[in-house]
Amino acid sequence: MARALPKEWDIELSFAGNGQEALDAIHEGKGDILFLDLTMPVLDGYGVLEAIRAQDLPTMVIVVSGDIQPEARERVRGLGALEFIKKPITTDKINEILTAYGIIA
Amino acid sequence: MPSETKLDISEFHWMMDMLQTIDVGLVVLNEKYEIDIWNSFMENHSGLEPSAVKGEVMFDLFPDIPRDWFCHKIDAVFQLHSRAFTTWEQRPYVFKFKNYRPITGTADFMFQNITIIPLVSLSGKVDHVCILVYDVTDAATSKAALEQANTKLEMLSQTDRLTNLYNRGHWEECLEAEYLRCTRSRNTSCLIMFDIDHFKKVNDTYGHQAGDEVIRVTAQAVRDNLRLTDIAGRYGGEEFGIILVDTDSMDAHAFAERLRKHIEAMVVKHDSLEIKYTVSIGIAEMGSSLGSYMEWLENSDKALYHCKRNGRNCSTIYQPGMEGE
Amino acid sequence: MSDNELVLNEELRDVYQEVTNVAMGQAADSLARLLDVFVVLPIPNVNILEAGELQMALQSASDNESVSAVCQGFIGKGVAGEALLIFNDSSFHDIAKLMKYEGEIDDAVQLELEMDIASILIGAFLNGLAEQLDMSFSQGHPVVLGQHCDISDLISANSTRWNKVLTLEINYTIKDHNINCDLLLLFSDDSIDRLNEIASYLLE
Repeated sequence: MARALPKEWDIELSFAGNGQEALDAIHEGKGDILFLDLTMPVLDGYGVLEAIRAQDLPTMVIVVSGDIQPEARERVRGLGALEFIKKPITTDKINEILTAYGIIA
Repeated sequence: MPSETKLDISEFHWMMDMLQTIDVGLVVLNEKYEIDIWNSFMENHSGLEPSAVKGEVMFDLFPDIPRDWFCHKIDAVFQLHSRAFTTWEQRPYVFKFKNYRPITGTADFMFQNITIIPLVSLSGKVDHVCILVYDVTDAATSKAALEQANTKLEMLSQTDRLTNLYNRGHWEECLEAEYLRCTRSRNTSCLIMFDIDHFKKVNDTYGHQAGDEVIRVTAQAVRDNLRLTDIAGRYGGEEFGIILVDTDSMDAHAFAERLRKHIEAMVVKHDSLEIKYTVSIGIAEMGSSLGSYMEWLENSDKALYHCKRNGRNCSTIYQPGMEGE
Repeated sequence: MSDNELVLNEELRDVYQEVTNVAMGQAADSLARLLDVFVVLPIPNVNILEAGELQMALQSASDNESVSAVCQGFIGKGVAGEALLIFNDSSFHDIAKLMKYEGEIDDAVQLELEMDIASILIGAFLNGLAEQLDMSFSQGHPVVLGQHCDISDLISANSTRWNKVLTLEINYTIKDHNINCDLLLLFSDDSIDRLNEIASYLLE
């Protein structure tokens, strides 16, 4: 995932091993943009989305998942995710989305 | 380049030749189940030439193929772009073809495994599927033969040769299973052990062959009186065991008496001899105090010895306090 | 090769985990479309196991219920493996309902259902795997390993032909239905090196 991010993008990157760690990182202000997997131990991606919405956390969520069932896509959109990228991801796809949201030029 | 093109065509020609000759059936269908390709295997086994089948709906030519079943598989391949498989265990065949070996083969028809693969067109769309038909007659018939042999072996290993009742090993396994079943379900079953009175005398007086005949006839008497669920076995020389499933000691006693009187009334004819004999029968009911099937067996043995001490030719229900040999 | 070499390093384990994640997602999508349901995706298990451990893993996956299983061999680029799909027997009632089978679910119907689902799950998974690793697999014909059997009968613990297996294990459940099946992709010793090599291209 990290390898697919644009090289010239000037950001600080944090990794979370599961959904709870991700929430902790956002609370610490480490997550303006969150690339979120759905299948994770402790707290899965749906749980993270619910928590973000419930606590109104300041982060933009882009879901990156191997779960390509239409229902999974609908559910994460319903829970407030900006975008859904199916794995395996490519730099091109990420660039396209980051550009579309005006995050990179 | 002309030479390269020429090579491609000849390669293509070889390729087609191989597909024609390969000993696997190849059929290409479009989305309307119309036949596009029909190789020699299909032609030779079906007797239908490619020109006769091209453009025809496969199910019209082979009305025996269960259409809904097979369409379901084909549609899944079109829809999901992954292969589908059927084995001869599901259906022995899809196309009813003759066995390749009409003389030495044991099956009337060809057993088939089928693979359906998606064919991607130049446009990237799956608009055809290929059906591969494999002849698996030899594998299927040898598996069937093996299963038959195993069933027979299993039966042989459980059966007593002289009486055709269960042998001691298998009967004891059944007894243990029944013991465990009763422990779980709290059902009441009865165990009967019986033997032939003064059997040694029968042997000594009339010879071993006569003794064998007596045992054989006794087993037949047991079979004649047995219910479908009861389990009878030859426990030892002249000793037999019967498990009466879901039966209390009163009903078991009635059964025992019926069997005893039946045997008492019989006359065994061997050569020119007429042999009359009696049996003694011990009955033990399954009870919650029994710690193992062995204890159950001991109880019925004690009841049996009680008969022996009380003049034989009778049946006795085990009571606590009865002593063994 | 010494046993020590047959341990997955963190990086490779991550690669397998991701590759499995994607392939199982594709397989789940196919199954979801076939049955019109939502398939709950678990976290895939990636491990190198010894024969005895494999049996234990299978045992725990089956919850000590009786099971039915289908296996299918596949091979490509020197990597030979076997896909094993194990159904808890209690799943068939709901599977039959979803596949719109009516009437009694006898062994023949059950076999039909097993084969249909095996074709789809295994086929889609292998497609996904092959695509990511830029290879292709030949698939053997699926074989019914057993119906209503004890899981320990499926794989002999004292197999002499292999010592260790790389297992990719995915336990599929279906939302709102009592359906539970375990898909295992098994690669024996002699294929693991080759597969590691192919998978490590993804790290570059």
